[in-house]
Amino acid sequence: MRNIGLIIMREFKERVYKRSFIITTLLMPLLLALVSVAPTLIMIYAKGDTKSISVIDNSGIVAQRLESNEDVEFVAIPNGDLQEELKRSLESDNFGLLYIGEDIVKNPNNIQLYTNSSSSMLIEDAITDQIEEIIEAERLKEYNISDLKQILESIEVNISLSTFRNDSQEQTASSSAASSLIGIILGFVLYFFLVIYGSIVMQSIIEEKSSRILEVLVSTVRPFEMMMGKILGVALVAATQIVVWGVLIVLMSAVLVPALMPDDILASVEAVKGGADVMAMASSGVDVEMVAAISSITNTGYIAKLVVLMLVFMVGGFLLYAAMYAAVGASVDTAQDAQQLTTPITIPIILAFIILTMVMNDPNSPLVVWCSMIPFTSPIVMMGRIPSGIPAWEIALSIALLYATFIVMVWFAGKIYRVGIFMHGKKPTFKELYKWLKY
Amino acid sequence: MSNIITAQNITKRFTEHTALDDVSVEIPAGSVYGLLGPNGAGKTTLIRVINRITVPDEGRVLFEDKPITQQDIYRIGYLPEERGLYKKMKVGEQALFLARLKGLSRYEALVRLKKWFVRFGIEDWWDRKVEELSKGMAQKIQFIVTVLHQPKLLIFDEPFSGFDPINANLLKEEILRLRDEGATVIFSTHNMSSVEEICDHITLINKSKNILSGRVDDIRRSHGNNIFAVNYRGEQDLFSAAADICQVLECDYDKLSGMTSAKIHIDQDEDVRSVISAINEQVELRSFTEIIPSMNNIFIRAVGGNLK
Repeated sequence: MRNIGLIIMREFKERVYKRSFIITTLLMPLLLALVSVAPTLIMIYAKGDTKSISVIDNSGIVAQRLESNEDVEFVAIPNGDLQEELKRSLESDNFGLLYIGEDIVKNPNNIQLYTNSSSSMLIEDAITDQIEEIIEAERLKEYNISDLKQILESIEVNISLSTFRNDSQEQTASSSAASSLIGIILGFVLYFFLVIYGSIVMQSIIEEKSSRILEVLVSTVRPFEMMMGKILGVALVAATQIVVWGVLIVLMSAVLVPALMPDDILASVEAVKGGADVMAMASSGVDVEMVAAISSITNTGYIAKLVVLMLVFMVGGFLLYAAMYAAVGASVDTAQDAQQLTTPITIPIILAFIILTMVMNDPNSPLVVWCSMIPFTSPIVMMGRIPSGIPAWEIALSIALLYATFIVMVWFAGKIYRVGIFMHGKKPTFKELYKWLKY
Repeated sequence: MSNIITAQNITKRFTEHTALDDVSVEIPAGSVYGLLGPNGAGKTTLIRVINRITVPDEGRVLFEDKPITQQDIYRIGYLPEERGLYKKMKVGEQALFLARLKGLSRYEALVRLKKWFVRFGIEDWWDRKVEELSKGMAQKIQFIVTVLHQPKLLIFDEPFSGFDPINANLLKEEILRLRDEGATVIFSTHNMSSVEEICDHITLINKSKNILSGRVDDIRRSHGNNIFAVNYRGEQDLFSAAADICQVLECDYDKLSGMTSAKIHIDQDEDVRSVISAINEQVELRSFTEIIPSMNNIFIRAVGGNLK
C-alpha cells in the first residue's frame, strides 16, 4: 500500500507540475467561454462589406422588387446589354452581374449570375430566396384572390413549447434543448478524457518498459501495485483537471453569464427561478425556451451536481478503460505495435460516442437506456442522459455496474501486465495474451 | 557456514520452453557467488525466482533457511541486467523515489544518498535530469540505489556491461567492500576474468540445468588435467630426456634467454615427486608448476559438453 502511494505521487507530480498541464487546465474554460460568446460578438462587431450586384432584368418585374440589405446591394440597369455590361462589370469593383430572362415567371431557371470573384453560398441563397418569393407572388397574382396577404398572415403560426417536469419536486421550467446540449457537451468531454488519459497510461507504460525502469522497480514493487499506482496516479491528474474546470465553469455560470445578460431577460430568468408562472410569462411574449435554458445554465447547484456526477463517471470509466490500456501498454514495445491491440478498446468508446448523439433525440429510448447501463458505453451515454433528468436509481445502478466491471477488468489487466512487462521483441497476438492470463 | 539462499529443485516452464529444469543452488552467507552460463541458459529466470518476481512451477526458495516471504524482498538489493531510469526526472528526486520504494524513510534515504553521492563524486548531479547523463553515470546511480537500503543479499545481473574499465574497477571494489561488510553477493556474468578475481563460489547453468557448482578453487583444481609447465636452462630436448617417465606435450627453446619451456602430462597414478627428481637429474630446473585451467576454459568446455 505504501508503494502504491509513492507511485501515485510520482505520477501525479510528474504530470501536474508540467507547464503544459497548468496552461491547458487554466486556459481551456476561458477558451470555452470565448467560443460560446464568439458568435454573438461576431454578429455585433463584424459586418462584411456590402456587395454590389448589377441586375439586367428583361422581364421587368424582378429588378424593382429586389431588396438591398447590409450584405448585398442590387443596382438595376434598365435596357442593359448583357455582353457590354459584363465587360463594364469586370472593370468596376462590383461583385458581379445578375441576368434575368424575359420568361422568368414561367421558366424560373432562366437566370444567371456572373461574378468577378469567387461566389458564395450565402449570396446565392439570398438572391434565389428573394427571387423565388417574387415569382411565387407573381404566380399567385394570376389566380386573382383578393386580400391574399392578410389571409396568409392570419394563418401563420409559430409555436414555443413550454416544458415542465411533472414528476420532480421542483416544478421548474426546464429546457430540453439546453439539457440535451449540456448532455452532449458532457459526454463529449468525457469521451476525450477517456481516450486521451487512457492512452497516456498506455504510452507511459510503454515508455517505462522500453527504458527498462520497470525491471528496476519490479524487484521491490509487485506488478499489480505498479499498475494500480500508474492508473490511479493518472486518474488523480484527470480528476484534478476536471475539478479545476468544474470550479471555473461554476464560477462563470454564477458570475459571468448574469453579468453579460441583458437586464430584461435576466429579470425573467430570476422570476422563473423564483417559481413564477411560466404560462403567464409565455403569453406576455417572452421567449420561454431561452429563459428556461439560461435559467438552467445559471443554476449553480445544478451545474455543481453535474460536475460531481461527471467526476464519478469519469473516474469509473477511466479506471475501466485505463486498465485495458495498461494491459496493452505492458504487452508491446512500441506505440506502433499497440495500434492493433487497442482496436477492441476504441470500438466501444466510439460506439458510445455515436449513441451519445442519439440521446439528443430521445434520452429514454431502449438502446440509449441499455447503453447507459452497459459499463463499456455507460459513462459517456449516461453523462448525455443525466441533464435531461432521469431517476436516481438508474444512475446508481449504472455506477455500481461500472465500478464492478472495473474491478474484474483490473484483475485481468494485472495478469497480462505481470507477464507482459518482461516480454520484449515480438508483438503478441490476442491468442498469446489469452495464454498469459493463465501463467 | 550457513546458506542465505537455498533454491531447491526449481523448475520453471514457459509456454514454449523450460527456462529452469530442476535447478538447485546453495548460496553461502558472506560469499561472492557467480552465476555463469551462456545467453538464454536461465540465469535471469533463476534470479527472478530468487527475487520473487517469478513464481516457480516446482521447487522452493529458502531465505536464511526459511521459505522466502515478501518481507524478505526488502533485504535484497537487485540490479537487473536491463536497467533504466525515468529520463525526465531529476537524479536526486528519482534516487529518493527508488530508495523510498525499498522501505527507507524520506529522511533516512536523503542522508544515505548524500553520503553515496559524495563518495562517488557526483554531488552536483542531484538536480540534473537523467536524460543528460551518460550510460555509465546512470549506472552509478542505479548501483547506489541498489545498495542504499543495506541489504543482506545483493544480486547483480551482468553488472559490468556498459562500464568503462575504470568504473568497472570501482564497481568491483565496491562489491568486495560490501562483501567484507557482511553482505552476500550474487552476480551473473559472462566475464570470466572477473569471476576468477572476485567469486568464491560459482554455479554454471547451461540449457536450463545446473551443470557445475562449487568453490572456484576446487573447480579449477579438479579440472586440471595433471599438466605441468617445466622451465629449465639449456637447450636439451625433454622429449628424449624424460620420455619414459611422463608424456611431453611441448618443448620450445628460446635462444635469447637460453631457456627451454615445456609442458608435460603426468599420469594420475604416477608420483609427481619422482617425475620432478627424474627431470631434475637431466636438466638445470628453474620452475615446475601445475597448469590450472582458467574459468574461461572450464566454461567453454563445460558448455561445449566436453567436460570430463
